[in-house]
Amino acid sequence: MRDPTFWILARASGLTAYVLLTMSVLAGLVLKSRPFGRALSAATVTDTHRFLAFLGLGAVALHGITLVLDSTVHISLPALLVPGLAPYRPLWTALGVLAAELAVVLVISFPLRKRIGMRAWRRLHWATYGVFALATVHGLAAGTDTPTPWAFALYVGAVGSVVFATAWRALNRPVRPPTKGGHDVPNTDRPLTV
Amino acid sequence: MYRIQIDRSLCSGFGACAELAPEVIELDASGNATARVGVTDDPAVLDAAAACPMAAITVIEEEAEAA
Repeated sequence: MRDPTFWILARASGLTAYVLLTMSVLAGLVLKSRPFGRALSAATVTDTHRFLAFLGLGAVALHGITLVLDSTVHISLPALLVPGLAPYRPLWTALGVLAAELAVVLVISFPLRKRIGMRAWRRLHWATYGVFALATVHGLAAGTDTPTPWAFALYVGAVGSVVFATAWRALNRPVRPPTKGGHDVPNTDRPLTV
Repeated sequence: MYRIQIDRSLCSGFGACAELAPEVIELDASGNATARVGVTDDPAVLDAAAACPMAAITVIEEEAEAA
């Protein structure tokens, strides 16, 4: 009988990566909208946000490696990097590859934020919503656990919580004066925020 | 009175401080936070320090000098 270890690990690490991504996105939104005010220091939330994102990438790496080692679905090493190479549900696995690559770019961009420029970095950081959307569709459509009630509930809970936290953030934007668009040097009297 | 110290090597220009305590902290031309004054009695600086994602702002509470 085939050893199911890698197959089980691949599914578990995929779902774990998705949960960590969701938690990191939620921490990022807490950082922006600060629903707990001064009770929770922003620096602590930043550390948590980055740590969760980093752990998430670790889980994604495990997800990819175990899928290559497993023989249930045939995924080669190059297919982990090139979207569309995997023969198993090619479109839906391609979305997962893209999500992972974009996530790597976002994590790397943090230490490089000053070199990139804060304005460009902020714009780039919006791509996190792209990672979350790609990962959600990838998980729902390529994941073999999706038909089970618990996995489906996990996706619904993740999307619901991110939508809720995003709406909260949008409704709790600090009031600020109108900004002039199109210049890279921030005006001293017009603080910039995402 | 609150004495404000901003570690400019940590500051990344997120701008939360200048939004919360605009009377005390502003962003300079390079986008980094800079204190308008060294000491203030505006308690908004406490919010500004707590809201800094990089923990770049230190606020030291001082006894007000007798006039």
